[in-house]
Amino acid sequence: MNGMDKSPNAAPGLPPENPMDSGSQALSEALRSSFGIIKFVMVILIFVFLGSGIFIVGSQERAIILRMGRPVGTGEQALLGPGLHFSLPYPIDEHVKVSISGIQSITSTAGWYATTPAMEAAGTEPFPGATLNPAIDGYLITADANIVHSRATLNYRISEPVRFVFNFVNASNAVQHALDDALLYAGSHYKVDEILTRDIIGFRETVMRRVTQLVEERNLGVTVEQCTVKSIPPRQPNVRQAFDDVLKAEVNRGRLLTDARSTENQVTNRAGAEAANLINMAESDRVRFVNEVSSRADQFLQLLPQYKENPSLFVQQRLIGTMGRVLTNVQDKILVPESVDGNVRELRYILNRELPKPKSEETK
Amino acid sequence: MKRKTFTIIISIFLGIIFFFLLFTFQVRQQEVVVVTRFGKPDRQITEPGLKFRLPWGIEMVHRFDQRVQNFEDKLTEGLSRDSYNLLTSVYVGWKITNPTNFFPRFAGNPNPIAEAEKVLERTLGHQKSAVVGKHPLSDFVSATDKGTNFIAIEQEILTAVQNEVRAQNYGLEVEFLGIKKLQLPESVTQNVFDRMTAERKLLADKSQFEGEADAQKIRSDANRRAAEMLANAEGRATEIKGQGEAQAAKSLAVFQQNPELATFVFRLDALDATLKDRSTLIFDQHTEPFSLLRGTPTNLGNIKK
Repeated sequence: MNGMDKSPNAAPGLPPENPMDSGSQALSEALRSSFGIIKFVMVILIFVFLGSGIFIVGSQERAIILRMGRPVGTGEQALLGPGLHFSLPYPIDEHVKVSISGIQSITSTAGWYATTPAMEAAGTEPFPGATLNPAIDGYLITADANIVHSRATLNYRISEPVRFVFNFVNASNAVQHALDDALLYAGSHYKVDEILTRDIIGFRETVMRRVTQLVEERNLGVTVEQCTVKSIPPRQPNVRQAFDDVLKAEVNRGRLLTDARSTENQVTNRAGAEAANLINMAESDRVRFVNEVSSRADQFLQLLPQYKENPSLFVQQRLIGTMGRVLTNVQDKILVPESVDGNVRELRYILNRELPKPKSEETK
Repeated sequence: MKRKTFTIIISIFLGIIFFFLLFTFQVRQQEVVVVTRFGKPDRQITEPGLKFRLPWGIEMVHRFDQRVQNFEDKLTEGLSRDSYNLLTSVYVGWKITNPTNFFPRFAGNPNPIAEAEKVLERTLGHQKSAVVGKHPLSDFVSATDKGTNFIAIEQEILTAVQNEVRAQNYGLEVEFLGIKKLQLPESVTQNVFDRMTAERKLLADKSQFEGEADAQKIRSDANRRAAEMLANAEGRATEIKGQGEAQAAKSLAVFQQNPELATFVFRLDALDATLKDRSTLIFDQHTEPFSLLRGTPTNLGNIKK
C-alpha cells in the first residue's frame, strides 16, 4: 500500500498536507482501496490457478495425467485410482478420466430383425413381412443355407484403460463390430438345428471364443467376461409353424417311446413272475413226489416182513381193512346181491336230478 | 530496490510464457501433427510431448487424431463364383500413420476423417466384390470347414485393401477388417423360406415315422423276451421234475424186493385215494368183505316181487 502512494507524494516536493483539497483526498482513498481489492483478487486467482490441478477420481473411474501431452508413467502405473489427486495447472498438465464402471454390456446388431428399443421394452414385435429386407432386417445364413435370427450380448471389462482410450476413437464400437463378426462367423459353420436346439451351447462358445480372439488380436484393451446368444427361427408364420411342427413331432415321438417302454416293463415283469411261478411249482412238485415215493418205500419195507410170514393172510387182512375204511368214507353204499334164480337184475340210478334223461347203469 | 527486483522477476516470467506460446506447442498422446512452413509440409510428429516451432504465420501446426477409427461400409451386392447374389458389408479399423501424406490429400476438407472414409469406401467396394467373386457360396457358409474359409475371406479382403491403400500413399493404414453383414437379396429370402418349410416338413414326418417304428421295435422285443423267459422257465420246470423222478428212482429200487406186495400196496392206495368221500359205491356180494352176506336171506329178494 505504501509503495503505491509514494510517487504522488514525492512529485509536489513535500507541500503541506493542507493544500490537498478534500476532493483529491477522497480520490486517493478510493484508488488506494480499489488497488487493494485488485491485489486481493489476484492472489485469489493465483491460488485458484494452482488449485485447478486438483481433481477427484470417482470409484468407477481411473484417471491419467498428460504432462505436455505425454502420459505420466507407463502402463498400469499411469492409472490413478479413486481419490483426490493433484496435477500441475492446465497448459502443463491435463487429466483424462476413464470410466471403467464395472462390467460393460454390448449387444450385436447384425443378426436380429428390425425392431426398436421401445417395442422391445413393450414386448411387442413388428409384423413380419413375407421377405426380409437386407437394409433393415438382420439375420444369419447358416451352414446349411437356412436363415435364423440371432442376437449375442457380450459382457466385458476394460482391462487396459490407457489403450482403450488412447488407441481407439470408439473402442466399444470396435468391440461391437468384433461381436457381429464373431456371430456371422459362428453362423457360417453351424447348421440351423444346432443353432436352435441341438448345440446351443457349442454355438455360444464359438461366438465367445471368436470374439475373444478378435479383441485380443486387435488390442482393444478389454477382457471378455461372458457372452449369451439368443436364436430364433424366422418369424414368418408358415416357417415358424413348420419349426413348431418339428418340435411337436419330436415330443410325440418321445411319448410313443415312453409308452412303448412302459409296455415293455409290464410285459417282461409279468413274464418274469410267471416264469418264477412255474419254477417254484415244479420245485414243490418235485419235493412232494420225492417225499411220497420215499415214504412209500419206507412203508413197504415195514410191511415186507409181515407179508413174507403169511402172504395170503396178509393180503386178506389188508384188503378187508382197507375196504372197511373206504366204505366208511363212501357216502352212498348200495349192495346188489345176486338173485337166487341167477337172473340179471336191473338198477336205475339218477345221478343228476336236473338232467331230463337219467343215466342208467347196469350191474349184475 | 525490493520493488524493482519484483518487477524484473514478473517480467522475466511473462517473457518466458510469451516465448513458450510463440515457439512451442504440445502434442497429445492421441494426436499426430504435421507442421507446415509457409503452407508446405515440413515435418511430422508422431510422439507426444513438448515440441518447438517457429511463430504463427511462419509455421502452422495441423493436428490429427491418430487413434483407430471405426468405419463400416454400406451393403453392396456381389456375385459369388457360383453366381449367387450376396450382399456384404464390412467394417474396418483404420488410422492415420503418415500425416505428411495424409495432410495434402484430405486436410483441405473441413472434415478430413470423413473425406478419407469416402476414399476408403470406394477401395473397400471394389476389393470386396473382387474377393467375393473368387469364392463360391460354400466358402462363406459350410458345415465342414469349421469357419476357416470365412476367416480366410476376411483376411483376403484385408490384404487386398491394405495393399491398395499403401500403394496409393494415403498416409493411412487399415488395421483390421471383418465381415459385418452377409445377406441375400430380399426376393431370394422368400425362396429360402419355402425351402426351409419343406425341409422342416420332411423332418417332422421322419421323426413321426421313426418314433412309431422304434416304439414297435421296443414292444416286439419285449414280447420276444417274455416268451423266451417263459420257455426257459418251462424248460427249467421240466428239468426239476426230471430231477425229482431221478431222485425217486432210488427209492423205487426198494419195491423190486417184492413186486407182488408192491403192486398190492399200490392198488390198495389207489382204492383208498379214489373213494375218498362224496362217492357212491354199488357192489354185489362177491365183493369183500360183503362176501359174508352171501347166502344170507335178505329182504332184497322181495324187491322183484
